[in-house]
Amino acid sequence: MTWRIGVDSGGTFCDVCLFDDETGRLEIWKVSSTPDDPSRGIAAGVEEGLATVGAKAADVSFLGHGTTVATNALIELKGVKTGLIVTDGFRDLLEIGRQKRPSLYDMTADKPEVLVSRDLRIEVPERLRADGSVEAPLDEAAVRAAIRRLNDAEVKAIAVCFIYGFLNTVHEARVVELIREEFPGVFVSVSHEVAPEFREYERMSTAVVNGYLGPVMQRYIDRLQQRLHDLGLGATPQLTQSNGGVIGFETAARLPVRTVLSGPSTGVVAAQAIGRMAGFPNLITFDVGGTSSDVALLQDGVCKLTGEASVHGYPIKAPMLDIHTVGAGGGSIAYVDSGGLLKVGPRSAGADPGPVCYGRGNTEATVTDANVVLQTLNPVEILGGRMKVRRDLAVEAVQRLADKLGLGLMETAQGILSVLNANMAKAIRVISVQRGHDPRDYALMAFGGAGPLHAARLARELDVARVIVPRTPGTLCALGLLLTDLRADFAVSRLMALAPEALDGVRVGFRSLELQAAEWFESESIGVERQVVSRTVDMRYAGQNYELSVPMPAGEIETASFEALAEGFAAAHMQRFGFIAEGETVQIVTLRVEAAGLVSKAEFNRLPDAGADASAARIGAREVWMPEVGGFTECVVYSRDGLKPGNRIDGPAIVEQMDTTTVILPDMQATVDPYLNLVLEARS
Amino acid sequence: MSTETAPVDPVAVDPVTVDPVTVDPITVEVIGSALTSIVEEMGEALVRASYSTNIKERRDCSTALFDWRGNTLCQAEHIPMHLGSFIAFLPNVRKRFPEETIRPGDVFIGNDAYEGGGTHLPDIVLAEPIFHGDRLVAWAINTAHHADFADRGHAHIYQEGVRIPPVRLYREGVLQEDIRNLILLNCQVPRERLSDLRAQMSANHLCVRRMQDLCSKYGADKVLAAGDALQDYAERKMRAGIAAIPDGTYEFADIFDSNQFPEPMELKVAITVKGDAMHLAFDAPPQVAAGLNVIYTGLLSTCYYAVKAVIDPTVLPNAGLARPLTVEAPEGSLLNCKHPAAVDGRIAACQRVADIVQGALAKALPGRVTAAGNGTCTGALFTGVRPDGSLWVYLETIGGGGGARPHADGLSGIHVHMTNTSNLPVEALELEYPLTLLRYELVDGSAGAGTYRGGMGLRRVYRIEADCRFSVEGGRLQAQPWGLDGGLPAEGARYDFDEGRVNVPGTIELKAGQIIELVTPGGGGYGDPAARAPEDVARDLREERITAEFASGTYGTASPEAKTKAMA
Repeated sequence: MTWRIGVDSGGTFCDVCLFDDETGRLEIWKVSSTPDDPSRGIAAGVEEGLATVGAKAADVSFLGHGTTVATNALIELKGVKTGLIVTDGFRDLLEIGRQKRPSLYDMTADKPEVLVSRDLRIEVPERLRADGSVEAPLDEAAVRAAIRRLNDAEVKAIAVCFIYGFLNTVHEARVVELIREEFPGVFVSVSHEVAPEFREYERMSTAVVNGYLGPVMQRYIDRLQQRLHDLGLGATPQLTQSNGGVIGFETAARLPVRTVLSGPSTGVVAAQAIGRMAGFPNLITFDVGGTSSDVALLQDGVCKLTGEASVHGYPIKAPMLDIHTVGAGGGSIAYVDSGGLLKVGPRSAGADPGPVCYGRGNTEATVTDANVVLQTLNPVEILGGRMKVRRDLAVEAVQRLADKLGLGLMETAQGILSVLNANMAKAIRVISVQRGHDPRDYALMAFGGAGPLHAARLARELDVARVIVPRTPGTLCALGLLLTDLRADFAVSRLMALAPEALDGVRVGFRSLELQAAEWFESESIGVERQVVSRTVDMRYAGQNYELSVPMPAGEIETASFEALAEGFAAAHMQRFGFIAEGETVQIVTLRVEAAGLVSKAEFNRLPDAGADASAARIGAREVWMPEVGGFTECVVYSRDGLKPGNRIDGPAIVEQMDTTTVILPDMQATVDPYLNLVLEARS
Repeated sequence: MSTETAPVDPVAVDPVTVDPVTVDPITVEVIGSALTSIVEEMGEALVRASYSTNIKERRDCSTALFDWRGNTLCQAEHIPMHLGSFIAFLPNVRKRFPEETIRPGDVFIGNDAYEGGGTHLPDIVLAEPIFHGDRLVAWAINTAHHADFADRGHAHIYQEGVRIPPVRLYREGVLQEDIRNLILLNCQVPRERLSDLRAQMSANHLCVRRMQDLCSKYGADKVLAAGDALQDYAERKMRAGIAAIPDGTYEFADIFDSNQFPEPMELKVAITVKGDAMHLAFDAPPQVAAGLNVIYTGLLSTCYYAVKAVIDPTVLPNAGLARPLTVEAPEGSLLNCKHPAAVDGRIAACQRVADIVQGALAKALPGRVTAAGNGTCTGALFTGVRPDGSLWVYLETIGGGGGARPHADGLSGIHVHMTNTSNLPVEALELEYPLTLLRYELVDGSAGAGTYRGGMGLRRVYRIEADCRFSVEGGRLQAQPWGLDGGLPAEGARYDFDEGRVNVPGTIELKAGQIIELVTPGGGGYGDPAARAPEDVARDLREERITAEFASGTYGTASPEAKTKAMA
């Protein structure tokens, strides 16, 4: 037996997904998280999971792990005391940012807390020019003095960022050497390593966040490694990054900033694998949790990377899957505002007290309460019977809103769902139409606890023809960990016109990136047969400021490669902006290399067709209020666990399983595919 | 010539008719969400496709949707000042072009303050009608601040740039090259203008497509009815906020100073609240022969901003929020100027208008209004000749301190009120222009003291790398940003040239190697400094935001710890 394990450690639960490579057996194990020391819960989960399936730690060939340690430390501002060494004249840049106030009208809005206090941001004389040449040499005595001051202040991390540090690393690299001499052991985060890209504030912010999180991540990884070692685990554990790939613990400890968005990225990776398997390479993922929801778009099975995002107000330059988050989910509170309109979120009832129907004291109606009133959610018990539901309390809460709106109870409950859907549709428009994609060409993959509840109507709102509900929507992230390759991204900014004169520069740039990739393959012990390298170039019209990413053809870089780049850029610009500026110079901005180390992934077996008849899975029926039929209508309720490949369900119907509920609308049908995915579409 | 046509009343759009289509509040919210995403998408497209640093990095542009009658349906949250350019543009289009002559694919361009509905010439507006079937349902409209018209005079508007009344740049989809060429020949950096106009076109096109899709989905009547409902909704929220203010008249006055005009001027407002309506009556000196005058629509958009920010920041930015407000200022005065007054730097006066409106509201709503922020929009304009003979123009505006809040310190290094543009990264600035930025920092000691202190002002120090011409414009040089409720005023602005000249008006020559330093004002403090928490004083001292003398002198009574440190 060789087992592959995915562990997704969240705020409430730690999901463990075990997969036997030989038999295809898949087991999901859930344990409570241990927020004080997440490694404890993880080790416990792995141990219990292995015991349940009767395996030994030595049988484990792979352990992939998704964690919110870095994210939470950033949100809760629980990173370490950090110092910053900057070019003379620029210590306040970290505080000034881009000079914008956080809200146009709301004067109470604050900028995010500056992660390095002003007295620990130390300027040193040095200056590079825009071409990378040295204008003023580095004042090493000043650097040593700065390091000593930071040492005296007992910082745990030092970030270094100089103007043009990405173009010429000489000064930053020297500072790192001096830190090693003067203050050995302190965590160092240097801008040209963390984010070697143009625009000093965003680069500085990234280096600082990385420093701020570094020792936290280091400590976490050390503990986890120890615990896993104690269990007898031989496999090298891998950690997820925001780019949807996994990476070794050592790199993760050095570049924790690359893991701040790792949570939702694993779900997208799982969706990608399931979509490919089920024959849906073009997907919009729809992951609805309790307080927020994440959406992403996959074209031909690929989710685009974005190079920069703002994470809790901090700009971060790191390769991240282009995932868009909305502050609304199943626990979001609905209310009527002072102008008389119905609003949903961003306030949430959280897990405790939770929705009104949990009967734990909350009186403000949530999305979940609306579903209980409509009976789309089981009005008696949910979570596979673990949670009793008080529909009467939910009705009272929704009725209060209905009275304010002058609408009926059921119309109001349905209205809560419509408003939520409008928010979700808006988020999906951002990642689809705003990027030049028509959602009608995509299928919607719904997961998270509340995704499948709302997916059918969202699909209708967006004219999306198909909804796919994977077999285990509530634990998709853990599953995704079994389907993920090792992955690292390398980038370097090089501004030059896309013209034959640039050939050498591009060759040199890519050669150095490929060298870095080779070193990384080496450090992760990835053999040649498992190495995949792909190159892209970020380009724009000279004068523009935002770049479009275009693939660089494989092989030697020749004039023909540039022609391919030019064509690729024109097509991308047309798709995004609707015009091509004929005759304008195209400029190369950033070269990127993506290195993937293929891991053997969990393969799922196709199950034999069991025929269309789903009656064996029928567990009852209930009245569900549906605006499509103008009132309550009887829906057959099926158990997801009992559904077999080929089974067909005609709407209106409800499918229940422990971690979610799927709604099938009256004029829809759902079929179970050979991998036990549920596929919803208009009735044929 | 400009005075031949009767002035347009910018707010006299058709009254909202009772629509036969009724929409429930949930559909209104759903359609409102779609409208917001359309104008936001337009804004992103405009920024990303543009070429000039002022738009691509500093995002000095705005996008909006108007209904067919000319009411604002939705404005993206970019620059509040730009609403002034939007509200009078369509009335001016309709005055010149009967509705039956407006065709799909027409694109109107304009910028003039007196004939085009603009507030100053660099803000060039592009508007495209949106047809659903053969019915005009709405307008896509956007404006971008074209950093051009540099090194001009400001005695009257004819010196300030090319004046464009609303004319068709495209006629049924066909570019009117004559018009375009005439405009571009009057610009100093035509390549940037052309590229930015192209970005503006593409943003409007997107809006047209999205709005047509929306109308196909819900029906145009329903979308328009939802638009009306959203305006009614904004109006209700504004009225609810105003009704919560005790009836009465609240007055406030402040000095408006600028390095562009020798005499400081007093601006006054009397705000009368009666039930759920508010009247703002301004008093101001006669218009001046400097680019500081404000056209009436500029005054209106300033009032909309200032009142909304205090009463309810969440009110949707559409025409409904204006309905409970009436605004008057003497005709021919600085705040309601007549042809041919120069208007280029109108934002300076608008910033002070926002200050006094909020100052007056602070009396009506104690504890809800911030102290005065930097109260200006410090603008630096560089222009020169490149080695190839073409001209370069670089505009940047520099923020300063925000006013202290009733329960928190003010924000440092931000724009206040009518603008919210970004800075240009140093690495982009030096790549594109012959300038080196030597320092960019917060100004120690610039914040007004208080229980909560104001935000800190900014200092930018540039070295000139090639001879060029330069002007700086800004205010609050003498008239310091005021504190509230016992808070102290902040330090004002100062512009230093290494030849010892300070605060010079107009355009001057700069030589390669010369160094200039621009310092912007801080924000005023809130509440008695003696009540500031000792740990906050100690932190400011440790972080070198204030000196030990200042800590012991101004805050001393409250801070034994700071006192000890100061004495050490």
